[in-house]
Amino acid sequence: MQNPFMSAAFKPDLAFTGAAERFFELLKSFSLPGAGAAGAAGAAPDWSALAGSLAGQFEQWLKSSQSAGPWFTAASAPGSGAGFGAAASSFGPLPLGAGAAPQQDAQRSWDLVARLAQLQAQLASYWSEIAHDAAQRFVTRMGAAAGGAPTLDGALKLYELWVNCAEESYAATVRKEEFCRLQAQLANASAALLVEQRRHAESLVRAFGLPSRNEVDALYAQLKELRTQLAELTEARRPKPPQPDRATAGRGAGKRPASAPARDRRSRRARKPRA
Amino acid sequence: MRPFSADASFLAGAAGAFVPELTLRVADTLARLRQARDVTVGCSAKRAVWSFGKTTLYEYLPLREAARDAPQRSAARPLLICFALVNRPYVLDLQPDRSLVRRLLDAGLSVYLIDWGDPDDADRCLDLEDYVERHLGGCVRHILVSRGTSSLDLLGVCQGGVLSLCYTALHRREVANLVTLTTPVDFHTPDNLLSKWVRELDTELLRQSGNVPGEALNRLFLALMPLRLTQQKYVRLLAGNSDQRALEDFVRMERWIFDSPPQAAVALAEFVRWFYQENRLIRGTLRIGGKRVDLAAIVQPVLNLYALGDHIVPPGASAAMERCLGSRDYTGCGIDTGHIGMYASRKGADEIPSRILSWLRERP
Repeated sequence: MQNPFMSAAFKPDLAFTGAAERFFELLKSFSLPGAGAAGAAGAAPDWSALAGSLAGQFEQWLKSSQSAGPWFTAASAPGSGAGFGAAASSFGPLPLGAGAAPQQDAQRSWDLVARLAQLQAQLASYWSEIAHDAAQRFVTRMGAAAGGAPTLDGALKLYELWVNCAEESYAATVRKEEFCRLQAQLANASAALLVEQRRHAESLVRAFGLPSRNEVDALYAQLKELRTQLAELTEARRPKPPQPDRATAGRGAGKRPASAPARDRRSRRARKPRA
Repeated sequence: MRPFSADASFLAGAAGAFVPELTLRVADTLARLRQARDVTVGCSAKRAVWSFGKTTLYEYLPLREAARDAPQRSAARPLLICFALVNRPYVLDLQPDRSLVRRLLDAGLSVYLIDWGDPDDADRCLDLEDYVERHLGGCVRHILVSRGTSSLDLLGVCQGGVLSLCYTALHRREVANLVTLTTPVDFHTPDNLLSKWVRELDTELLRQSGNVPGEALNRLFLALMPLRLTQQKYVRLLAGNSDQRALEDFVRMERWIFDSPPQAAVALAEFVRWFYQENRLIRGTLRIGGKRVDLAAIVQPVLNLYALGDHIVPPGASAAMERCLGSRDYTGCGIDTGHIGMYASRKGADEIPSRILSWLRERP
């Protein structure tokens, strides 16, 4: 599926279309028998059905939109449907499949892919936790919002309530230390796989007598050093800026302003000793 | 283009009474969004006056009205804006009625802006010393020489504020007044989710992985509040109270939010490690180019504006600046808005320039 947030040319209409479609999906849950403002009149509330539907939708959305953690797009595990070759990270597609590397190197790559799959599974359990917690929060709070004739404004208010509940649940989970550690582990495993794959590519291009990334980087580093030296020489030949006026530049005891906004916190401290 | 397809059959009878109206609103909003798709961004005339690598220094041309006071303007101390590496600086000059740059020009200031450009693979070894000493430093020196002045005012925004703090600490004679916007100093405040997430990143792997595309950073920022930042704001367009102009403003902001440059691998790895992981700036252990960055060495007047509802730079992360600086003239002020609202909301557009201008006027 095209992701409007990740394309080079951002398409707001595409992003809006996606959000509107998901809003309609949400309304579908709201319209379950007895489930709130959009529900059928007179039916007994079925909170568990509503919670189950909301949780399912949200979990699916989290999986598809946040599946790999923020820094790195999923490196798909074998059998996940995408295959190793599609193990593209946000850093760009991996250059080669594991099979193209020498056996020992290939094993390292496969180990990393397996590690990623394991971490992805752990991440999925968090999405499930967040989604179910959000749904429970929502049905607990929606009592006051439920009832009355279904209106568009009412549906939009329910949506706002849902977003608040979902974000609260999300925030509560993603701040946990173990979640933060998992995010970092995912990013590290993904980066390690990318670096490993590039290492394979390096040996391949060397075999063909082509310049490798490392060689190009070394050349760039030399070029950078030369540019810096050139800039310093050019700078040395340029006229110097006037000497700073000690009364103004770098002053520490600037004059006290005549007036201050009411909410400003102003500090007029004695000068601290220099460390 | 994927057509909008909403199956509303599930909302039968009374429950679906509003569906026709909702469907109309969706169609109308979609049509208007398509119209607004090509809105322009950036509004004030500027010219490139210096460049180094991918970095370009721009000088904004005076507004016609302000040009009448040209002699006064040329005598005034120039103001250099140093934006973050992770976003484009045109958000400060997005449109005429929401342009910090324009307000500064309108007040007769001589405004310069650094555009870091798009680092490519040739720049993957650029480090923070390059950015601070040679890119930012080069801009400062060019302005000082070309204007024949000994110092300038520096306005650092977000990550650009961090770079500005470093530069000012290392070259304090060149900076007369320092203004920082949404600038973190303490990266380990408990409410800093971004910091928690990157705390255990392997920065050596990050360095080896090469430049990080802007999309990857966008993904990171969106993941901080995913439903609000990728869904809710679009559904809110269905509330039906936005005119075409408001919609165009919305699209401009969206365009900016998703238009992020790639990040040079080494500089990003250093930033993550030194600031987010090791919190070196506030601990006084940061060294750039072999020189210690001592915030207590910043003795010039400092105006620090931060957002009270900032989910990227929590207010406490920025307000911590007060206790680290050597300056006796520190003004800290929290504005009741969010991170992006500081640059582009109606409130930000009204309040930020006024505060900066009045503060600078008091420190000629």
